[in-house]
Amino acid sequence: MKTWKKFLSLGLASLMTMSTVACGSTSGKSNKSSKDSGGKTEVTFWNSFTGADGDMLVSLVDKYNKENKDGVKVKMDISTDLDSQLSSAFAAGTGPTLLLSSSTYRFTYGKYLQDISDIFDKTGLDKSDFISSYLDYCSDGDKLYFVPFQLVGYYMYWNKDLFKEAGLDPEKGPATWDEWKQDAEKITNKSKNIYGSGISYGYNYQIAHIMQRFGGLAVTKDSNKWKANFAENEGYKKFLKMYSDMVKNGDNPQEKETDPMMTAGQIGMTVGGPWVTAGLDKAGVNYGIGQIPTGDAGEMNSCEVLGFSVTKNASDKQKEAAYKFIKWWNTADKNGDSPALQWSLKNGYPAYMTSVMNNAQYQENKKLQAMTPANADAPTDFICDSSFEGINGILSDVIPPMINSVAFDQSSIDDALKTAQNSADGIVAKYNK
Amino acid sequence: MKKGSTAKKVAGTIPVMVLLIVLALLVLVPVVWMVCSAFKTEREIISWPPTFFPKSFTLSNFTDVQKRIDILRYMLNSAIYAGGTTCLAVIVNSMAGYAYAFYNFKGKTGAFLITLATMMVPIQVIMVPLFLIVFKMHMYDTYFGLIIPRVAVAGSIFLMRSAFSGIPHELAEAARIDGLSEWGIFWRIMIPQVKPAIITLIILSVNGSWNDLLWPMLITSSTEMRTLANGLALFVGQNTIEYGAAFAGAFISLIPMFVLYIFGQKYFVEGMASSGLKG
Amino acid sequence: MKQIYRFWNNPKRSAWIFLAPSLVLLLMFSVIPMFIGLGLSLFDVPVTMDTAKFVGLQNFVQAFHDKRFLNSLRVTAVFTLIEVPIQTFGAMMIAALITKNNGVNKVLRGIYFLPVICSATAIGIMWKMILHSNIGFIPAVLQSFGLGKINFLNTPGLTIFVVTFISIWRSFGISAIVYVTAIQQVSPSLYEAAEMDGAGKIRQFFSITAPSIRPTFWYILMTRLAGSLQIFDIIYTTTNGGPNYTTESTVTYIYNRAFSTTSSMGYASAMSVILFLIIMVVTVLLYRRMNKEESS
Repeated sequence: MKTWKKFLSLGLASLMTMSTVACGSTSGKSNKSSKDSGGKTEVTFWNSFTGADGDMLVSLVDKYNKENKDGVKVKMDISTDLDSQLSSAFAAGTGPTLLLSSSTYRFTYGKYLQDISDIFDKTGLDKSDFISSYLDYCSDGDKLYFVPFQLVGYYMYWNKDLFKEAGLDPEKGPATWDEWKQDAEKITNKSKNIYGSGISYGYNYQIAHIMQRFGGLAVTKDSNKWKANFAENEGYKKFLKMYSDMVKNGDNPQEKETDPMMTAGQIGMTVGGPWVTAGLDKAGVNYGIGQIPTGDAGEMNSCEVLGFSVTKNASDKQKEAAYKFIKWWNTADKNGDSPALQWSLKNGYPAYMTSVMNNAQYQENKKLQAMTPANADAPTDFICDSSFEGINGILSDVIPPMINSVAFDQSSIDDALKTAQNSADGIVAKYNK
Repeated sequence: MKKGSTAKKVAGTIPVMVLLIVLALLVLVPVVWMVCSAFKTEREIISWPPTFFPKSFTLSNFTDVQKRIDILRYMLNSAIYAGGTTCLAVIVNSMAGYAYAFYNFKGKTGAFLITLATMMVPIQVIMVPLFLIVFKMHMYDTYFGLIIPRVAVAGSIFLMRSAFSGIPHELAEAARIDGLSEWGIFWRIMIPQVKPAIITLIILSVNGSWNDLLWPMLITSSTEMRTLANGLALFVGQNTIEYGAAFAGAFISLIPMFVLYIFGQKYFVEGMASSGLKG
Repeated sequence: MKQIYRFWNNPKRSAWIFLAPSLVLLLMFSVIPMFIGLGLSLFDVPVTMDTAKFVGLQNFVQAFHDKRFLNSLRVTAVFTLIEVPIQTFGAMMIAALITKNNGVNKVLRGIYFLPVICSATAIGIMWKMILHSNIGFIPAVLQSFGLGKINFLNTPGLTIFVVTFISIWRSFGISAIVYVTAIQQVSPSLYEAAEMDGAGKIRQFFSITAPSIRPTFWYILMTRLAGSLQIFDIIYTTTNGGPNYTTESTVTYIYNRAFSTTSSMGYASAMSVILFLIIMVVTVLLYRRMNKEESS
């Protein structure tokens, strides 16, 4: 009985301390949350950069807060579930002032984002320094919703040691998809659990980047109307056939998680974003980087653009403060160094600005050079025309069922494409109204 | 005669013991693999052939976690969230459970079914409306907003109801005749009877909040307000996973819960002994 | 003052005093959001809720024609039919075996409880790694025993059972501990009497233990049922519905519809209403049964 009382009183005591702590800190908070903290304009900044690159973002933002003389304080919050957090916050009329996200977020949250096309006039950033095809991703007519922050292209990675073992030239990855298939056959070594090709059935972005090399864009504009191109697309057919053959021959694993296999040195070739290199470097894999092999659809540099946007929660003053931060990010000091350059160099993301691209350090970086397209004028659209608003529907509701039904032999390739066409038609129809 | 029954007893316990040990291994092997992996290099965690025990013992994953996130701050937030929620939950939910188990009143079935109904809608659907309510009550990004909406839980009410149902009603009647108030009966007579259930409720509630990811993410917007679970989720990137750091973080976060469980179990035993199992 | 006290001290009224805090909190933070959420099922509304168009029952009609939704109901049913019996009956039996407070049992209980206190994210990653078809520890061990290559997480037809196993693995400890608590509260005098009559352990379990812990049994059954029918966490962190949608549960699909960038909150809500009705019907039937049993 006594212990029981002791326990209860302990509980009550801790409850009381909790509530005092809670009160204390809430009242402390309300003082702080007034917009000017110590005469500084506060910019709340949301993004979803979990992982190692997020750590670098934290230190760069800290650096800005310490060094800037603009009277700006950037308060950053990294979200592990940005979509849930953003949608509920926007629905309640709150949320961040500055957002860092894929440029496709304007299709979902466009009503909550401000037009920031005046940023170049207001800050003196040089618009012509930004490569225009990437700015196109961020704009809707005259309106600009994002300032580019990072280009996410997908690249080919190959394991040089496995190439050597198979008697292939370790310094050269395949240039075409026929070569890819042949190389995969040679590299595959069943006794060692090694697969030549690593294409994941559960990785829609990877599939999309590869698929469009074969058959072009899935949604295009045809006399002012959107049109889906799945059924009877010979390129897509060829891709699905190749994938299915490789899985059946055992040259490509029937596996969703192919990235760790590449890291473990169990895969000869794969396609993925720049982040793949971080894992490979850590694991000490001897690998090469190159452009994704070209297919029948010709040369292309498909990529996604991530960018900064300013939300409608921002007051004029906060908008101005956010502009100053964006300007700082993209401005070089007298040594030609800028946060944007550092970001590119450290994380391996190609540049979206000519000045960064021409920087000596950038030019010397082998990884970045391998990622920089040979033909800079090739189209950059990723899977759909870059102004098609339904891209996420194509990525999450059309491509996965298609690749799954082929991977698990549930339907013929023609039927899979027909089904894909039907569901893509449904999405397209919504935006043709 | 006696000898025979002991032999039989022993023969009976062997398969039982085997079953229990197999189950224990089934549970333990993956957990131990995870803990071991926290001490492996990234290179070894993802390697062929896979290893179980670390070949090259390293603490770098732990220093990584420690460098990247403010563990103490996050732990404090987790403790406030879990502690605050649990203290209130114990009181509120056992009161409700007691009422459902011990009183007959109009509207009982209705009230209980409504309570049960709240278990049946996925949080994903009520998330946005719930956020709106919390926001309009000015509880966004505060400890109150974190705690108060998570106090009343249908499952916990049900748990307490079940615990109270096991107590004979005569006990309450006798106390009523002795002139104890209704609150007195509940607080002085009934609560001590269900100590083990309350310990269970405490463990489940603390553990639930400690490992909760979505709610603290949604209802707070500043790094200083985030919990340990949120902090550890940072090692699972959108595109890459830092396995070593993620496992090291999971290990760090596991320890306080395990200590709590051990203490809880001590109270189970003591509770059993001192309440003397009336009824 | 005294009058107020007397008025409320009446057993009929004081019930409401005991209920008030929980009812107020549930009303504010569960029931109202629930009604708003369910109300959305009649609208075509994105997750940001900035525009809403009344569409009547169209979302429901769509749901019953949506193959993915119907498939998700099937997946959920399979999952529930395996998980619930194991969690209710299996855990009860195991609990009966580890009830006594001796050293071995304490250790066993601690072990069984371990997965419960691990973070869900870590558990998801751990299982994904340990069962990986190529570099996973368990397939490698099985292969070295000559049991062939088993692709646990990428085989339609098999993976749903693997996910169910992981889910049971994760929360079995809760059911077991709750049962242990309940069994320990059964009066020892009942067992002593049974022993005098010469009843064996197994008969004691069926004639004393099982009937005495009925309320706990109902608690486990109903909460597990509601939990299983809404399974999300484990699937989201391991397979996320794959391979080929064979492990896509209803709530996983609802989540995808609500928050993927092609979000349609109205449609997600309509599916939740259907799921809600299914759970509610089952629960009310069970509740009736429980009440009948308890009053007799």
